[in-house]
Amino acid sequence: MFEGDKIHLLMALIPALPLLSTLIVATFGKFVLRERSHLPVIAAMAGSFVLSLLLLYEVHNRTVLADEAYAKTETTDAAATDDHHAGDPTKKAVEEVYTLWTWAAVDKEYARGTENVDGTAAPADVAGKEFNFIVDVSLRADPLTAIMLCVVTFVSTLVMIYAVGYMHGDPSYWRFFTYMSLFVFSMTMLVSVSNFVMLYVFWEAVGVSSYLLVGFWFEKPSAVAAGKKAFLVNRVGDFGFAIAIFLIWVTYGTLNFHDTAATDTAPAVAGILGQLRLADPTLYVGGAVGLAICLCLLTGACGKSAQFPLHVWLPDAMEGPTPVSALMHAATMVTAGVYMIARCTPLFMASPHAQHAVAAVGGFTALFAALIAITQTDLKRVLAYSTISQLGYMFLGLGAGTVAGISAGMFHLFTHAFFKALLFLAAGSVMHAMGGVIDMRKIGGLRHLMPKTCWTFWFGALALSGVFPFAGFWSKDAIIAAAGVRGEEGPAATLYTVLFWASLFTAFLTALYTFRALFLTFYGRERIAPEAGHHAHESPSVMTLPLAILAFCALGAGALFDWHSIFANFLGHTPSLAYSAVAATASHGEHSHLGLAVFSTFVALSGVGLAAYLYLGDQIAVTKLTTWLSSPFGLRLYQLSYGKFFVDAIYQLIIVWPLQLLASVLGWFDRRVIDGLVNLGGHLPVRLGALLRPLQMGLLPFYALVMMLGTLVLIGTLFMWRA
Amino acid sequence: MGELELLHGYLIIGALLFGIGLVGFLARRNMIVMFLAAEMMLQGISVSLVAWGRFHNDWGGQMLVIFILTVAACEAAIALALVLMLFHSSGRLDVAVWQHLRESNQLPFVDQELPEAEVEEPVWPELTPAGVEPEHSLDEVVHRGHV
Repeated sequence: MFEGDKIHLLMALIPALPLLSTLIVATFGKFVLRERSHLPVIAAMAGSFVLSLLLLYEVHNRTVLADEAYAKTETTDAAATDDHHAGDPTKKAVEEVYTLWTWAAVDKEYARGTENVDGTAAPADVAGKEFNFIVDVSLRADPLTAIMLCVVTFVSTLVMIYAVGYMHGDPSYWRFFTYMSLFVFSMTMLVSVSNFVMLYVFWEAVGVSSYLLVGFWFEKPSAVAAGKKAFLVNRVGDFGFAIAIFLIWVTYGTLNFHDTAATDTAPAVAGILGQLRLADPTLYVGGAVGLAICLCLLTGACGKSAQFPLHVWLPDAMEGPTPVSALMHAATMVTAGVYMIARCTPLFMASPHAQHAVAAVGGFTALFAALIAITQTDLKRVLAYSTISQLGYMFLGLGAGTVAGISAGMFHLFTHAFFKALLFLAAGSVMHAMGGVIDMRKIGGLRHLMPKTCWTFWFGALALSGVFPFAGFWSKDAIIAAAGVRGEEGPAATLYTVLFWASLFTAFLTALYTFRALFLTFYGRERIAPEAGHHAHESPSVMTLPLAILAFCALGAGALFDWHSIFANFLGHTPSLAYSAVAATASHGEHSHLGLAVFSTFVALSGVGLAAYLYLGDQIAVTKLTTWLSSPFGLRLYQLSYGKFFVDAIYQLIIVWPLQLLASVLGWFDRRVIDGLVNLGGHLPVRLGALLRPLQMGLLPFYALVMMLGTLVLIGTLFMWRA
Repeated sequence: MGELELLHGYLIIGALLFGIGLVGFLARRNMIVMFLAAEMMLQGISVSLVAWGRFHNDWGGQMLVIFILTVAACEAAIALALVLMLFHSSGRLDVAVWQHLRESNQLPFVDQELPEAEVEEPVWPELTPAGVEPEHSLDEVVHRGHV
């Protein structure tokens, strides 16, 4: 058990180390460190990871103590009510907030009315009060943050080590590590901060890192375009997020997650997700305002986590170096949306319709992206759509709105980080060996050439498909089960039933496309891309070692942490999840879902089997199938999937072209009308001067005459004046 | 004759000189004549300065005139040198030849050209040869043929 100061030091050091390494590499990388630029970064990442583990350990200790305290209240209260979850939640929540400094402070910035916009009464604690606008740079430690920090720093450390091999010899080696380190700093801050404004700041900071890294090879036009697209599509989501923050400010009069204690000058303020407010669900605004807040938050999350309809940037973001795809666009950055929604669970509990929207968006995206993934030919793109699909699963879990669902969603985030990073890194290893070629039509049968990459990919594929006992099985199964439970009874049961079956079908598709990719890449006739030349080889051990570590995580992380619901119980101590509204749902989904587990394993295995039937061997069946699906009789399903449901084309048509048209009209107006007016100002003196120009005829007698006449006029005027 | 009448007389003379000079400067195109006209204007001013100095019983006027004379001498030297150079480069004394300081897009002012001075072949008197033509020295024929 650490004293207060030590845990504060831990919380501050975890983001500080990556920041320090960013500054070091940015300053000395180009001329001093050069090929050694990775050293400070890896050291900082490893340091952050160790500190994160310490923080996790500390938070865990506190949860154990909290459990004991909670059990005492439970026994005393149990007599009063039948519900055995009626213990005092303040004893259960574990939270530590450390305020570094105040970023902005405006006194009496806002006076809250007594009514919401939709006419309902404002919550008792904010109605008719004046609020100071205070943005603190404050870090928090609770189970949710501790888990996110561990995942981020662990995967970062491994990806950085991998990148030493992958990026070897790149002219901008130092720049890569600077950006990556900047990203890790932003991401650790994103999950640590305890304020919506700071959350937004680092939300943007990871977006900037993503932009920089997607466009890392900026000589390549497609990479530049992809970076721009990622940034712009994220803007749409961030716009929603910003609106949500404004709404939260005018609704609740604060932007802090945590409660602020009373000071000499200011009264205590109940934070949005603070324990004061959580203790009383009536202090949350529902109705139209609550729904608007949640939907705007969902828009932001959709942008960052690549959910339909804002998913279009993620597949293009694969233009970045593969370690970037593994770290940011699979394991960590894209889960920021999931984290944010999990963090804001109490807000979503207050507006159930928004929760249904989360589930619907997630379930639909999962299916939608899986359908696209089965026909893509680019290995990394298959994995990108798979990421979108798995993020959809996480949203579905969060949207279930039960403790089981939310912890399943976060658990899927946790396991997905390992196996998806693993799959991406394995794909990067293939790419490295094949001279940058990743098209599965050009490569194949690589299992003898790259045995280590092959078996690690197997582990990742099994985990992704959700085959027992790999990590993905536990988390995905829990999500499907949570959706199933919600489908049995309660509001929107039909929706959840549909989503339940959709997610089961998605599980089948997941197994199919994952093993399709595996078989096409590593099995069949050995085909090596001509770009690889004669040095197609297994990757160096600096790349395969992280793969092996991640492979064991993909194997063990699920079973290990699902044992006796360690993960869910630990996560349940997060204040957002410990209190009544969510906690009351804890009894749902506790009953065993063995039947479902067997069924979903069967589904996954049938997907694997179908992939094996189609893609192992001569592939006659798949050719026939493709031809039939491309024909008008097959409704051109194949083209629909291969063309990614033409979402990009539709956006091009309904958004990009009209905007381009508008831009060209405005550009014409600017160049012709605005510039014309300005140029007129410049031309006027020239034209006036031209009128006088003929006077300058260069004839001496004429000048003399004019001079004389001028003098006469002067003298004449003088006399007139006198007279 | 009173002081005032004396002053009037001198001022009228000065004004006349100035006026004639002004008209000459504006009306003539020959650079030397224009220069002379300008000198005349200067003298007109000098006369009136002297007159005013006398009238006010102040030597300033005379002193100024001495300055003007000095400056005019220098100016005459420079101006005549310039006129000479201009004449050398064009063979003309017409001031309208020199219009180069006009605006670049301005067409040159073409007045009626000054009539070419009619150059008549000089007619030398034919004299009756007298005596015997002396024998020419060969050396003289070769080396001083043109004399």
